[in-house]
Amino acid sequence: MKKLAAIYQIVVSLSLLVSVAAYGAEATTLKQATWSQILTQAKGQTVYFNAWGGSQEINDYLLWANKQLEQQYGVTLKQVKVTDIAETTQRLLAEKSANKNRNGSVDMVWINGENFASMKKYNLLYGPFIQQLPNWQMVNQALPVTTDFTQATEGLEAPWGVGQLVFIYDKQTLAKPPKSFAELLTFAQAHPGKISYPKPPEFHGTSFLKAALLELTANNSVLYHPIKLPEQQALFDSTTAPLWHYLDKLNAVAWHQGKQFPNSAAQTIQLLDDGQLLLALTFNPNAALAAIEQGNLTESATTYAFNAGALTNIHFLAIPWNANAKAGALVAINFLMSPAAQAHKADTTLWGDPTILKASAFNKMSHHQHFSLYPSQAEPDPSWGNAIAQAWLARYNH
Amino acid sequence: MRLKLMVTLTLLLFIAPLLVGFGGVIAPAFSWLPVLGLQQLSFNGWLQMLAWPGLSHSLLLTLFTGLGSTLLALCWCFIILKQCWHSQYWFKIERLLVPVLAMPHVAFVLGLVLTFSANGWLARILHHLGFSQHLYPSVIHDSYGIGLLLTLAIKETPFLLLMSMAVLQQLNIKQLQQVAASLGYNPQQTWFRLILPLWLPKLRLAIYAVTGYSLAVVDVALIIGPNQPSTFAVLVWQWFNEPNLELLPRAAAGAMLLLLLTAAIIILLRFIEWLLISYCNQWQYRGVTANVKIHNKTGSNHRIAIKLSQALLLFPLLMLPTLAIWSVAQRWRFPDLFPSRYSWRFWQQQLEPLQSLMTNSLILALISSLSAIILAIVCLEYRQKYQRGLSPWLITVPMIAPQISLLFGMQTLIYTLPGQHYWLWLSWSHWLYVFPYVYLALDGAWRSYDVRLDQTARSLA
Repeated sequence: MKKLAAIYQIVVSLSLLVSVAAYGAEATTLKQATWSQILTQAKGQTVYFNAWGGSQEINDYLLWANKQLEQQYGVTLKQVKVTDIAETTQRLLAEKSANKNRNGSVDMVWINGENFASMKKYNLLYGPFIQQLPNWQMVNQALPVTTDFTQATEGLEAPWGVGQLVFIYDKQTLAKPPKSFAELLTFAQAHPGKISYPKPPEFHGTSFLKAALLELTANNSVLYHPIKLPEQQALFDSTTAPLWHYLDKLNAVAWHQGKQFPNSAAQTIQLLDDGQLLLALTFNPNAALAAIEQGNLTESATTYAFNAGALTNIHFLAIPWNANAKAGALVAINFLMSPAAQAHKADTTLWGDPTILKASAFNKMSHHQHFSLYPSQAEPDPSWGNAIAQAWLARYNH
Repeated sequence: MRLKLMVTLTLLLFIAPLLVGFGGVIAPAFSWLPVLGLQQLSFNGWLQMLAWPGLSHSLLLTLFTGLGSTLLALCWCFIILKQCWHSQYWFKIERLLVPVLAMPHVAFVLGLVLTFSANGWLARILHHLGFSQHLYPSVIHDSYGIGLLLTLAIKETPFLLLMSMAVLQQLNIKQLQQVAASLGYNPQQTWFRLILPLWLPKLRLAIYAVTGYSLAVVDVALIIGPNQPSTFAVLVWQWFNEPNLELLPRAAAGAMLLLLLTAAIIILLRFIEWLLISYCNQWQYRGVTANVKIHNKTGSNHRIAIKLSQALLLFPLLMLPTLAIWSVAQRWRFPDLFPSRYSWRFWQQQLEPLQSLMTNSLILALISSLSAIILAIVCLEYRQKYQRGLSPWLITVPMIAPQISLLFGMQTLIYTLPGQHYWLWLSWSHWLYVFPYVYLALDGAWRSYDVRLDQTARSLA
């Protein structure tokens, strides 16, 4: 019996050793590989890309990207649609618990903010890799492409596009939309039942709260440092008091008197079209144009930002530490950052997501982005988003 | 002997994931999650859960919708059976059952939303008739969960009817009715005093399955249920999706609570059944009471029941036209009755990816149901032969236990196993949920089979 146990132990430790050695070997070879070696390695790989699947335009874009990747590089890009990328964080965590350090089920993720912070903290990401990507040289360094909601990206994620929290309204039904949160309240009181926001902790809903807090609080510099609860409860309470005061008044005159909230930003667009709301919310500054093209909004719909600027963040692409097709994922990410893919993405009739490349990257192309970004407001520390959403639920979720 | 081996295999296939599933949720519920550096047992997850605002409200909503929909479906089912069993109309019901059961819950619920929401089809029609939108009572996301309760009840009634078919065949209703009639019972009394007490215990497992499903359902509740707060299962699901992984113990504690709640409700249902049938059984023995009034009303009751069954069974199918129109609508603004622009683009764009998805689903369904049918037959044969079978309680565990309570643990188990046989594991996890239904469905047929036939056959060599 003892002997058996000893043998068992040897076998286990040997197999562990082998797998660790193999893992290490693979990691070093890929990290030192030249781009052409990576291209060769990637050929024939299938990249399982876990990405939010809630937008028809984006899903269509990824189908297009897959066709291009197959033709040009022999890489297959498969979108695994998730309703929230936190589902993938969860999945990766389960893989980490099971010690599955190779051949993971996810090859690429679309993330930013809190999910990046979590994945980075628990070492769920591969990298740094961005320096290896040829198209990294064309990235517009004037954009905050190396920080993600105040967190340093450390080369663990590559920028893909720009999100700006803006509003959509119908020029025909509304002549003068509100230009600040203060004006929004007066406006809502004049049009009871016609204003709302997605229910936090939904991403857009939480972002709406963050933007409001940035305008309303006297001390918004603290928002750019992590808040630790319950230790810093007093600071949290004093900073957010004006927000709750404001929301008490806004919710009272909101859609369904604040007893119901839309579930998503897409729903606010639909409610705008149905005439139930006067303003819709989106993180895509060109959402209105794309929605008109897709038949979801009337021709007279348009996008605008508040005077203080639009809450702006970059969305990124990353590779899990245990991804099976790392080379394929690198090729796919590099392609998605290419001028051709970025121009196609910025096409307002398709998706309209702003590019992260320098203007000079598009010199050789006839088509490129025909719009400029709104003045931007930087995202607060991710811990604030979490804390505000939880506090919102505590106050209004019953 | 081979039979016994197969039964043991089934048992093993069955118990392993359940144990791992439970283990995988109990450990994090008490904050034991080494990957996150949590290695000290504590009640933090439970405390965080209890501190959640609106927790009791959410639990009450779950109880109301879960229990309410089960009881309502059960009543509807009994009324339909009582009036239509062995009538000519029953064949029509039987034929309708299959398409209705085959309709996915989500398709039905989306159809409901598109028809009944504040800007759905019905609201559009009312708008054109001159009614204000504000008068329209919305059953979508209504804060009492009435819409969710009705939806679940409508969708569960056909399942209970299907399960009752086997039970009633086994009971030999015709004979029972003849005997009852010769004793002077009218049909109404026969059903309430003779058939109900026999039918209810035999339908027990199916009822628990419906209850377990209704209490733990996430997708349907998300689309149509209340969201301020939402039902508890949705809340737990949202907790599992929280990006801040340190809050995972809270989600696990929630999953445990949901499991305990479901178990408690099932025990309660068992108690009610016992009370009704064994304890408060005076009504069964009261004998014949002449009730001419009821007797006269039977005809109209029959008509009402037929209408009810028609409404219940056809209602889900009525959603299909709405879904079909929306699938080709490009622009359909409120209050237009029909889209102003049509387009095939959804079909065109999605056809290719859909093909592979559909093939996958089809293969998966075939594998898991075929293996489930084979193993269920084996287990039933074994029981027939040796009078010893799988415990019905064990079999219903996957049906009753909330899926979100088990999945995290099962996921971890699958990743621990070497290799990349996702197909195998996926089929297995499907099988785990298919097997109990197949077993239950076949159970009645096996029970109604007369063993004496075998004996006679054998005696005749």
